[in-house]
Amino acid sequence: MISVEDLSKDFNGVKALDGVCLEIAAGETFGLIGPNGAGKTTLIKILTGQITPTRGEILLERKPVNPGDAAYRLKVGLVPQEPAFYGRLTARENLRLLGLLYGMRKKDVEERVGELLSWVGLEEYVDRQVRFYSRGMQQRLSLSMGLVHRPDLIYLDEPTSGLDPTARSSLWELMARLSEEGRSVFITTHNMDEADHVCDRLAILVKGVVREEGSPAHIKGLLGADQVEVRLARDVAGKLDEISRGMGLTWRAEGDRIIISGPELTDKLAEIVIGLGGDVRGLHYREVTLEDAFLRFMREVAE
Amino acid sequence: MRGWTALISKDWKLVLRNRLLLVVLIVYPFLIMGVIGAAFYDVGRPVPIGLVNLDRAEVGDVIWMGGEAEKTSRITGRFSMRADEAVEFEGEEQALSALDEGEVDALLVVVEEEEEGETTRWTGAVTSEGMGEVMIDDLEYLVETVCDYANAGEALESLRQGENNVLMALRMEEYPYLGETIWLEGEHYDASSLVKRYGEDVTEIEEYAMESQARGDLKEGRIDAIIVLPRAFIHKLKTLEEIAGVRVILDQSNLVKSEFAETSIRGFLSRVNEEITESKMEAVVAGLYVLVGGGDFFGTEIVGLDQVRDDLIEIKEALEGRPELEETVDIGIDLADTVIEDIEDAAAYLEATALPIDLSISSVVGRRLSAKDAVVPSLIALSILWTGILCGAILMVVEEEERMRSRLRLTEMGPFALVGSKLVLATAVVFLQSAVMLFMAIAVFGAFASNAPLALLVIAAASASSIGIGLVIAAFARQVAGAVILSVLVAFPLIFMTGAVFPLSQMPTFMQWIARAIPLTYAIEALTGVMLRGEPLSGVAWQIGALVAFGVALLALGSALVRRRGA
Repeated sequence: MISVEDLSKDFNGVKALDGVCLEIAAGETFGLIGPNGAGKTTLIKILTGQITPTRGEILLERKPVNPGDAAYRLKVGLVPQEPAFYGRLTARENLRLLGLLYGMRKKDVEERVGELLSWVGLEEYVDRQVRFYSRGMQQRLSLSMGLVHRPDLIYLDEPTSGLDPTARSSLWELMARLSEEGRSVFITTHNMDEADHVCDRLAILVKGVVREEGSPAHIKGLLGADQVEVRLARDVAGKLDEISRGMGLTWRAEGDRIIISGPELTDKLAEIVIGLGGDVRGLHYREVTLEDAFLRFMREVAE
Repeated sequence: MRGWTALISKDWKLVLRNRLLLVVLIVYPFLIMGVIGAAFYDVGRPVPIGLVNLDRAEVGDVIWMGGEAEKTSRITGRFSMRADEAVEFEGEEQALSALDEGEVDALLVVVEEEEEGETTRWTGAVTSEGMGEVMIDDLEYLVETVCDYANAGEALESLRQGENNVLMALRMEEYPYLGETIWLEGEHYDASSLVKRYGEDVTEIEEYAMESQARGDLKEGRIDAIIVLPRAFIHKLKTLEEIAGVRVILDQSNLVKSEFAETSIRGFLSRVNEEITESKMEAVVAGLYVLVGGGDFFGTEIVGLDQVRDDLIEIKEALEGRPELEETVDIGIDLADTVIEDIEDAAAYLEATALPIDLSISSVVGRRLSAKDAVVPSLIALSILWTGILCGAILMVVEEEERMRSRLRLTEMGPFALVGSKLVLATAVVFLQSAVMLFMAIAVFGAFASNAPLALLVIAAASASSIGIGLVIAAFARQVAGAVILSVLVAFPLIFMTGAVFPLSQMPTFMQWIARAIPLTYAIEALTGVMLRGEPLSGVAWQIGALVAFGVALLALGSALVRRRGA
């Protein structure tokens, strides 16, 4: 659907993006994760024509495109990081305005506005000024505003930032439905739970450079492993070395806990307990999360 | 106490580390003080005054005077009566030609009201020597106020404008007492040099040959007032036979400027009054006292009334026993007492009165303007500035505050439409608001506005530049509150720098240059010109052109800055 090649952006000599290459397929939900200041919002701004890249190009259906071109603009929608709407207009008025500015016919606009308000569950509040909405309602409206012209690809810049779990979950549902409708979704986030839950594919952006790319499972597999957390009655470092060597595992001490990790850990759990004998006081098994993988990855990058 | 110190220290740091707060609370008051100080620091500089001196022997071959008469037939009758030979002319060309060629010595032009309308009568007169003075006396007797004119053109123009209905022209040699000088403190002064001598501290006098030239410069703001010295000005001062009527023409479209000018003129002319009166009165009073006490009475040695009375008393004593003669002498003594008393009263009265100069104040507008009239154009201009800046800034910053700019950029509407739509709305708001204010001022408060449609054109031209300033401000604000504060910070000093509050002519030269770089200055000039002086389009074309140029430049700059910040 859309790809970027060798995309770079300098701000007064500081590289915000450096040779970024990405591809988003039709109907795919693609997530860009990275720490604050990694360049995620800069990339979205380039893709939506708010700023121009220093180098590189954007390809739509494998053809170079300028984000300022009308054909491109009509194919993409945007949900900015902060809710963006006219607070003193109602939801209906906000949506209607955008529809008309996109050149839609009045009748189509009315139809689409009703459809979207129902889709995001705001039918009951359509004639209330948006500034009186809750943050979750505002973000749902913001999402619907990005979709008013039926774009094939929608850019979501940290869409659930600052939302409570209920509102976040509600928005994830809507994102999942977008994917079901066959739309491509490009989402930036530093919420790893969200990335794992919503995205088909991910890329990790660090200091303007894409460091890893693949499915959430692939990222987790590459960067982390399941762990078992053990509390022991005494220092048995010798035993731990012996067990680890024998089973191809690693261990490290974190305060009064011992963290053992490695492949196929569930199958080796009983053997570990037997090996440590009566010194085991407590045991907790933890499946690796994308956040674990990401943090570990960031530690490695820092080192 | 430690907590108090911590809180105060925290607030001080917040102020120091917030650029806007730092400017508003700490820097801005100094800036405003600087602006107002710069505008006022040169106050007291000489007021530029135009002087038209008609008391000059060399002004033309023919002198013109005129006025408003109730019964023009009486003037025509007397004029004809004084003439050795009276000639009726058919029209202006024939009459002026006869005067120029010397076929007649005097000319009378009278506008008569008749049933079928106004008729202008042109009567020439061949006169004997000395008759000119009599004709002037007749005119002064029958006309309310006699005005002197520098030439035929200005005199006839005043007739066409309806300022008077009688004009009289006399050959120069028929007019007495022109161009005399007065001897004061060891020097001779003619009318111009006398006025300049007394006015040099407070005015900067530029002399004009023609009143019309001076009026042109007054309208364009090069001078703040015009003084027209009448013919025989010095003669009247010397003789005190009659009051010398000095005309003062002010530009009342700027109240403060005209007040300054009037005060300055009244001030220095009162010094002329006082000193001339003082020197003349001293002589007269001394003469009166000589009448009482005896001595040199203007070159003749006389015996004073005191001595006469004393002599009469002695005579009365010598006539004791002859009551009929004593009674006659008593009458003489009483008469002497009464005259002595009256002379002393007269001397005391003369010492305190009789100012030889009288001012008649008029406006270059052609009518006296009230404060209400004069303030309306400035108020409308300030309203355009205020609403224009705020509207331009707020409408643009709303997009920023609502974070809609990035969304709108993706729609089919280009940046031109997004900025242009705001300009259309802002212009409509500013224009309608100012138009309503203008019509309310006229209809409800009865303010004077001679050319309201042209004023609307000026309002439209001024709106663009004010909105342009708002757009420039919008480029530096991210929230509506910030835009409002910045707008106020910008608009407030402009009010002091544009002549709306304080006359430009009284500001230092560098402040006048700064004022020329502010569109509001041109808006005020154009609105006062159009509304108060009845200027036609050609009279304010320069100001409208400047407003349009400022508007285009500021709108382009503002749009570019807003777009640049959005990029």
